[in-house]
Amino acid sequence: MKCFLRSLTLLVGLFFYASSHAADALPTLTTPDDVGPVIEQPIEFPHFRHAGDAKDGGMQINCMYCHTYARRSMVAGIPPIQKCIGCHQSIESVRDKPRIQKLFEYWDAKKAIPWKKVHDLPDFVRFNHERHIQRFYFQQDRPYQEVCGYCHGNVKAMTVAQRQKPITMGWCASCHQKDHLVSANSSKTGHGPNDCFTCHK
Amino acid sequence: MSVSNLLENWSKFRHTHPVDDKGYPDWEAYPSDIKWAMAIDLDACTGCNACSVACYAENNLPVVGKEKYSHGQAMHWMRIERYWDESAGVGEFGADKGARFLPMMCQQCEAAPCETVCPVGATNHTEDGLNSQIYNRCIGSRYCSANCPYKVRYFNWYNYPEQEKVWPEPLNQQLNPDLTVRTKGVMEKCTFCKQRTYTARNNAKTEGRQVQDSDVQTACQEACPVGAITFGNLHNPESQVAKQWQSQQVDLTKEVQEKDEKEGNRLRGYRILEELRPYPSVMYLERVRESAV
Repeated sequence: MKCFLRSLTLLVGLFFYASSHAADALPTLTTPDDVGPVIEQPIEFPHFRHAGDAKDGGMQINCMYCHTYARRSMVAGIPPIQKCIGCHQSIESVRDKPRIQKLFEYWDAKKAIPWKKVHDLPDFVRFNHERHIQRFYFQQDRPYQEVCGYCHGNVKAMTVAQRQKPITMGWCASCHQKDHLVSANSSKTGHGPNDCFTCHK
Repeated sequence: MSVSNLLENWSKFRHTHPVDDKGYPDWEAYPSDIKWAMAIDLDACTGCNACSVACYAENNLPVVGKEKYSHGQAMHWMRIERYWDESAGVGEFGADKGARFLPMMCQQCEAAPCETVCPVGATNHTEDGLNSQIYNRCIGSRYCSANCPYKVRYFNWYNYPEQEKVWPEPLNQQLNPDLTVRTKGVMEKCTFCKQRTYTARNNAKTEGRQVQDSDVQTACQEACPVGAITFGNLHNPESQVAKQWQSQQVDLTKEVQEKDEKEGNRLRGYRILEELRPYPSVMYLERVRESAV
């Protein structure tokens, strides 16, 4: 019996030892399995055309030109249809394209486009866009595509946006535990908040 | 999460607020430059319940009705306790007849009795000195409520939004979007209006400055018609609440205050059940009105 217990303890200990090391050696959490579901939007909005690099035929528009609130509010915001029309009424060359025609149909009917949410967090989670944009875009002076891409993936290459990162608590925490530079011209580092209260309200 | 990681995190949050050799909170090693605290002037309080109503509106609290209230299932995070001076006769005319009022909500203890007993770590201490309650982690053991000396933790016995329908259409439109609407089986309590304090901190951080008094008011403070409630950052000597604590010589780390230590002084500041040493963050100012005697 004693021998059995001893070997059992050893086995359990070995298991925990091995599992704690296995977790440390995990690969990055972004794998193809983590790609979220394909979401059908009312208009197949081409992100790559608007935000993509010039060499890929994109316009290199800053994400925050349309998702304006990201830098000053909790939510990034979906642009109102006025914002689309604001540019597209003077872009005659694409006026006859089916997507643009659909856009103007909504505009003429004075209806908002019923976009669907791609990055939908549970109701008990409050992610704050402002803090992340302020920290990484304004203070660290990193390119916006990189900053938004931490969580949203490579949207500039997508047509309709699709979830690419797991967006789970463990995934958030894995970045919050890392040391990040406080600002572009300082060597001081700090990590993200570890309080449950910060996100769960 | 690996086991080593888990253990490390566990001991880390247990020691968010360091203690010195004697087991007293060590303020030198305080991790944050913010410590939210409150002062309530009982001399000003008229027991009008405006704070309680404001809290209901701000924090998505369900109104449970007479029957559940009589079962002790009310969800008032902020309640007005009434104490009667019997020599004046227990009467229906309120203060003139000897009623004394005491607004009571979570005291956000620094050494909170509720925190140590939670089996799942759903309640723990934040860096800015709040006692947090995480609804999605709570399993509803109600251990914290049993251990709370102030009895300010409230349990959701029912599914108020869906089954009890306390917010039928269109009343659900009045719910505060900055807060979760709690469901059956979780504990909840006053949070010092954390949706407001976090917004204030966030805005101050974006503007690159410290949080000031003018940045944030709790719902009860805002609603109080006589200004009996003061709220702010105790670590900022310029804040109203710090000045009040200072003038009453109330010390966060002591369990007996000046008022009770020396006879005959004119200090009024005390904290409730200090002798239990939970180090609460709410200071009350004793009532001095002649009519109360």
